[in-house]
Amino acid sequence: MSRFPSPLALLIRVNALSSWRRLLALRHESRLLVGVIAAFLSGYLVLSFLLFDLGLRFIGRFPGLGSLLVERLLFLLFAFLFILLLLSNLVIAYTNLFRNRETAFLLTAPVPVESVVRWKLIESSLLASWAFLFLIAPLLAAYGISNNVAWHFYPVTFVFVGIFLVIPGVAGAAGAVTLARHLDRKAFQLTALCAVVGFILLVAWRFRPEPVADEQLEARMQAVIDRLLVNTRFAQSPVLPSYWLSAAVQNWAEGALPVAGFFALVLLSNALLLSRLAALFLGRPFYSAASSVQSRSSVFAEWAWFRRLEDRRRSMALLLRDSFLAESAPSEGSQPPQPLARWTPTDHLDRLLQMLRLPPDARAIVAKDIRVFWRDTTQWGQSVLLFGLLTVYIINLRHFTRQLDSQFWISLVSFLNLGACALNVATITTRFVFPQFSLEGRRVWLVGLAPLGLARAVRIKFWLATLAALVLTVSLTILSGNLLRLEWPRVVFFAGATTVMTFTLNAIAVGLGVLYPNFRETNPSKIVSGFGGTFCLVLSFLYILTSVVVLGVGSPWGWRDNESHPGRAALAWAVFVLFSVLAGAVPLRMGLRKAATTEL
Amino acid sequence: MIELVDVVKHFGDVRAVDGISLTVPKGQFFCVLGPNAAGKTTTIKILVGLIRPNQGLARVAGFDVQQQPLEARRRLAYVPDFPFLYDKLTPWEFLRFTGQLFLMDDDHIRRAAADLIPRFQLEEWLHKPIESLSHGTRQRVAITSALLHDPEVFVIDEPMVGLDPHHARVVKDTLRERAQRGMTVFLSTHQTSVAEEMADRVGIIHRGRLVAVGTPAELHAKAGTDGALERAFLSITEGERQQTAPVA
Repeated sequence: MSRFPSPLALLIRVNALSSWRRLLALRHESRLLVGVIAAFLSGYLVLSFLLFDLGLRFIGRFPGLGSLLVERLLFLLFAFLFILLLLSNLVIAYTNLFRNRETAFLLTAPVPVESVVRWKLIESSLLASWAFLFLIAPLLAAYGISNNVAWHFYPVTFVFVGIFLVIPGVAGAAGAVTLARHLDRKAFQLTALCAVVGFILLVAWRFRPEPVADEQLEARMQAVIDRLLVNTRFAQSPVLPSYWLSAAVQNWAEGALPVAGFFALVLLSNALLLSRLAALFLGRPFYSAASSVQSRSSVFAEWAWFRRLEDRRRSMALLLRDSFLAESAPSEGSQPPQPLARWTPTDHLDRLLQMLRLPPDARAIVAKDIRVFWRDTTQWGQSVLLFGLLTVYIINLRHFTRQLDSQFWISLVSFLNLGACALNVATITTRFVFPQFSLEGRRVWLVGLAPLGLARAVRIKFWLATLAALVLTVSLTILSGNLLRLEWPRVVFFAGATTVMTFTLNAIAVGLGVLYPNFRETNPSKIVSGFGGTFCLVLSFLYILTSVVVLGVGSPWGWRDNESHPGRAALAWAVFVLFSVLAGAVPLRMGLRKAATTEL
Repeated sequence: MIELVDVVKHFGDVRAVDGISLTVPKGQFFCVLGPNAAGKTTTIKILVGLIRPNQGLARVAGFDVQQQPLEARRRLAYVPDFPFLYDKLTPWEFLRFTGQLFLMDDDHIRRAAADLIPRFQLEEWLHKPIESLSHGTRQRVAITSALLHDPEVFVIDEPMVGLDPHHARVVKDTLRERAQRGMTVFLSTHQTSVAEEMADRVGIIHRGRLVAVGTPAELHAKAGTDGALERAFLSITEGERQQTAPVA
């Protein structure tokens, strides 16, 4: 046995030590803020456990079909989480393998490329999976308690889940290597966009609820359940790793240990096989892909037809530019276009921003932020996925309208929509807006020393993020209102609430992003997973919860009758607006003050 | 010790490195000069194995960087212009980590570090987190860690960035001294004064091609200049620019 630790062991040790020190650094943060986060996380675990417990017991009581429905629900949930884990692993592995300074450092050290891949695979899987563990822990606890399982169910389930996570981890990393090897940024963006749109359409089509009239509902209950079971049967496909996990967990809970053991062994053998394959065969393709990522200008450019198309497009752009310059020449005998104009053609974004008549410095920041966001596939890919899923949900609402004839249900669905929309915005502001200031990184002096100053740059970022989010949130709110056939005062009510919440959530993210910057990290997902990002998410969620409850309690349309309550509604709105202003303005103002006094 | 044989690298339809062939013998201090985007960093990336050439090969200490990467990297040290360091570690922990990656035992690491740490004046920073260090100190930590395993070939990109005159002098003296003891140095810089002062031989890369190589005196002779190396550099690159300029 070698007296030297293996490179993989060294890397794990060094990174574990770094993570531990990051955790210890929390001692230097405000105790109040750490306490708020800890309380929120504990509260989330308890509350979600209670909700899962309530839900599972409710479904379990369904006459004759309770256990079948619970079983299918678990299969379905794990199948969806498996797909999301795959996507998450793909995106994180891509960033971790190909846009990471540690990887470049290791590739010049005497570390076998296979060890680099193994370490990056472990790191990516951990980064991609912690949220999954956080999500399913209360569910599995509730499932265990509602089934009165033995104590060993919990540790065994933990082991099963650990084995399961290897599979999407390896598959995601292999996918990232394959994509990086064959696609450049533009081609990857196009593929990712098509994949996300395809996934959304598939989900929308597969799970389209068919309208059922009230009078038919009772008589056709059996048929409805049948259809539900048929539509969700794919989750029980025996080739899905999520099926093996669900089957192992459920059989263990029921005491069928040999069957559970069988599925656990299927999981284990597949996880081991995939890990071995990755360890043996992913190294070389990874190196080729890493080299390609740093070497390629465009995949499309390898095709002659695309090059011809690009040449034509460039010539057209220059022609337009020249004619524009000739037309705008001040007098007769004007000079032909200068060479500089040929080298600096304006693009569509420049033209659009010129039309908006923004001041030049604001235009520069806006154009830069939009370009950086668009060119970072991992950034917009995740936003598209989040809003895409929300769109699927909202479009499907039209099928519920016939059932939503009671005041209670209309109000409940409307307020839940408001909450869902705001939660999406909070996820996006935390994930993308919060790290914006940190992503200026070591270049922050460039903006900071420019005449516009850091504070104005931060303000511009706030407005850009807010306006971009407003386009999406208000459109979705109006769409959902129309699909639910709400009368226009309700649509205006919810659109107004969404607008206020979008402003506040962006203010929280921008403000906290400045207050808790991390200029050393270039990976936004790592910036977000720090103290500031967690605090931003917690604060945003608490704000949403409070706002929806306040607006719901003070709903002008009441819950059980059709009487309006204008006084109560006015009071609720006043509290909501005041609370929103407070929740948004305080961090934003503190952030702006810090930006104005930041020493560069 | 370093061998580049007809190396070609395309970035799409751009030929970033265009048939560079070069041999740097053991113990030679070689500086590569070139304007921005000339292909210096791409050449270095090929030499240290970060990217694969489209054509040709790179050898370090007799080992093909692509075919025998581990053998080549064990004999190589590379310090980029912005080196990677683990922010949450201390310089001592980082030195120990890199030493272990190069299969050095603790005694060996301590002995090697005992020489380098006082030389680069890292004593007072040794147990402080790297994230709290200035850019210059981080650069010194990176150079120290790269020299720790006594590499046969040392490749460094813009070594003087962020260093004060005193520490720049320390780096120059250390590299010169190591070169005299047999370490081959491949240094990329924009500063002709550094090349003039340090290099046994200088290569000028322009538009992906090695347009001139020789001692400073040989470069002057080729360019028909005298005095500072900067004149020879400007004369050669300007001449190349005119030769390769497209006809209007």
